[in-house]
Amino acid sequence: MNSRPDAPPDDVPPDDPLDDRYADFVGLLARHDQAVRRFVRALLPTGDGVDDVMQETALECWRKYDRFCDTATEVDGEFTRWACVIARYKTLSWQRDRARDRLVFRESVIEQLAASAELRLDRGDQEREAIERCLDQLPADQRRLLLSVHSPGESVARIASETGQRARKLYSVVQSLRKLLLRCVESRLASESSHG
Amino acid sequence: MADRLKNVIFQTLQRTVSRADFDWLQDRLETDDAARQTYLTAVHISEHLDQQAVDAPGKPRPSDAPGADVMSTPLAIGRHAGGSTLVSRWVLVGVVANIIALAGITWYARTHDAPSRTERGSVSLDDAVATSPAPDASSSFAAGDTDTTTERLIAGHATLRRAIDIRWPKGNSGLHEGDVLTNGTLRFDSGVAEIDFFCGATLIVEGPAELNLESDWSAEVFLGRLRANVPPVARGFTVKAADAQIVDQGTEFALQVTPDAACVEVLRGQVEIRSTDTPARQLRTGQRHWLKGSASSASDFHDLATNDDVQRRRHNAQSDRLADWQNHIRQLRRDERLIALYTADAIDRFAESSDDSLRLMFNQVGAPDERDGVLVGPVERVSGRFGNESEGLDFSRTGARVRTRTDGQYGAFTFACWARIDGLDHVYNALFLADGYENGEPHWQIDQDGRLLFSVMVDDTPGTGLGGHPQARFHHLYKTRPFWNDSNRNQWFHLVAVYDPPNRRVTQYVNGDIVGDEVIQPKFHVQDLRIGPAEIGNWGQPLRNSPWFAVRNLNGQIDELAIYDAALDANEIQSLYQQGKPLGY
Repeated sequence: MNSRPDAPPDDVPPDDPLDDRYADFVGLLARHDQAVRRFVRALLPTGDGVDDVMQETALECWRKYDRFCDTATEVDGEFTRWACVIARYKTLSWQRDRARDRLVFRESVIEQLAASAELRLDRGDQEREAIERCLDQLPADQRRLLLSVHSPGESVARIASETGQRARKLYSVVQSLRKLLLRCVESRLASESSHG
Repeated sequence: MADRLKNVIFQTLQRTVSRADFDWLQDRLETDDAARQTYLTAVHISEHLDQQAVDAPGKPRPSDAPGADVMSTPLAIGRHAGGSTLVSRWVLVGVVANIIALAGITWYARTHDAPSRTERGSVSLDDAVATSPAPDASSSFAAGDTDTTTERLIAGHATLRRAIDIRWPKGNSGLHEGDVLTNGTLRFDSGVAEIDFFCGATLIVEGPAELNLESDWSAEVFLGRLRANVPPVARGFTVKAADAQIVDQGTEFALQVTPDAACVEVLRGQVEIRSTDTPARQLRTGQRHWLKGSASSASDFHDLATNDDVQRRRHNAQSDRLADWQNHIRQLRRDERLIALYTADAIDRFAESSDDSLRLMFNQVGAPDERDGVLVGPVERVSGRFGNESEGLDFSRTGARVRTRTDGQYGAFTFACWARIDGLDHVYNALFLADGYENGEPHWQIDQDGRLLFSVMVDDTPGTGLGGHPQARFHHLYKTRPFWNDSNRNQWFHLVAVYDPPNRRVTQYVNGDIVGDEVIQPKFHVQDLRIGPAEIGNWGQPLRNSPWFAVRNLNGQIDELAIYDAALDANEIQSLYQQGKPLGY
């Protein structure tokens, strides 16, 4: 599956493109793609494999879509949760294939994380808002530094060499900003959940 | 721990995590729901940052608008501008300078909180901190706690290799042998210090002395007598005195500085004397030159300490200290509160120098043979904290351990030991761990961040622990602030944990100073303390069905460990440290 809603997955059996069912499915995917992707991303620490797993998940969802529609009472509302269950198994099988790689969680960790992540599925927007609020609180220059190391192809080492800073020092600065941000988001979420 | 978790999470997301840390993270994620929540939030943040960096390069945010950094051009992020320089250089330099001030403060706070002697005596550091502006980041969020640098920094120009009979000025707790010396003033009233500069030059300085360490390559002397030994690699090493520079050409020279006179003599080789008002002059073996004052005020250099003298004086002083310590042990072991006093030395038990006794750590309490510790696995006998004439035990190889058994029921604990740490290799590094860690049993260890951890099991029923893991049991780790970092290798530390249920307090000490003090909450209160089978330097019987962190051998040495059935007070701890400290402390 592709993360762009306007690009139908290449490998999905074409059937009849005009088939309503297929159109519904694509629409559902488009709406819930982000949530499922975030769920998968959380289980794959480096982000490697997210696209593979998403594609596998989409295919599998399409294969089982009929059965899902038959049992679901509220298709749109239950889609994310259902897709995440599939994504969880796809992640596990991806992990099994790559278990010898360095940064792949073992199965038991994926299981535990998936369980925790499922409980948070509904809080995606709330979390996004918390992150944005906290980012806004950072002074502009610090936010820029933080974002700059997240740019594609960019790295702390490169910025360090461009600015004549020691990479290790810069790295620890970025690291401290991330932790600051994390603490802010955590406390914001905590206070929100304790106030209902 | 929380800080480490965050560090490791971000390192993982950044792919810079070590295998050991990644495994540690997996264990945390598997057992600790709070850790999972933190991880999930961090992933979300990281993803959000990725997305923002790509989606909105340079897009001004509301808070960027008027007032905030008017002159700065928005950062061109991403590769939209034809791959040109991504970051406007001056903006970033400003940011970094700003935040480094923050990192510096935290670093300062850490090193000065901890009793590690690494960065003592640095004048400039204090000044720098006093004039640093308040960092922005710390005021950005209400939480405000600015835990920053994760790296271990060792800053300095020289090490104090040997220190003999040194008297430090009042109000200054002084330096230890092996300490790294930063730039700033070094002052002592008497005794001899041997200072190795990182460039390779060595100064043997006799007190009273006052000098300013300027860099790896230079020092200024205001007062004192010294001998400088400069090997060829350190050619160019400079000593300043009385407005002149003595630039060494690879040699040995002596210098004496008093309030009215300064005299230099070349003992071997050649030096160059430079000053602002006279032309440079060369000085060769045997030649003497007054930088200030005259012949009448200068003394003879013949009695100046040599390297051999330092060596000999040190050896004698060490033998004296060892003898004092052994006498002290004889008194100590009469203390009725002592449960056990393990020593690597067989004090007063020389008769049993059989092979068997080589496999014992001697318990000086009770009848001989009873309750001695047994060396198991690759424990090695090495020099103890009083040098070659004393003995210590090395636990650096996995599986090295001393097994002990202590029956009975106790009302309080004081654990005290002398340990030398070569590295904190494991998540938990053992000092003294009860086998099963069952109800009322103690665990005493050091974590990877250099903090002391003391804990007593409250409820060993699986599933009672915090975090809801089916194997988790109920206890609390009492942690100190960090006391050890890489610069402290080769140094002996006196470590103490006092567990005091009647007064509901856990107090921990390093070298006589308090590094942690925490109230025992009612839910963690344990009245009946036990030890049973236990190990020094390792953990014999980890939790059942839980293989994690089972490798806990201390990468280091222990030469003495005492256990009291009482809560010793701060004065008693200070006295234990003073009586037991090795030479050069």
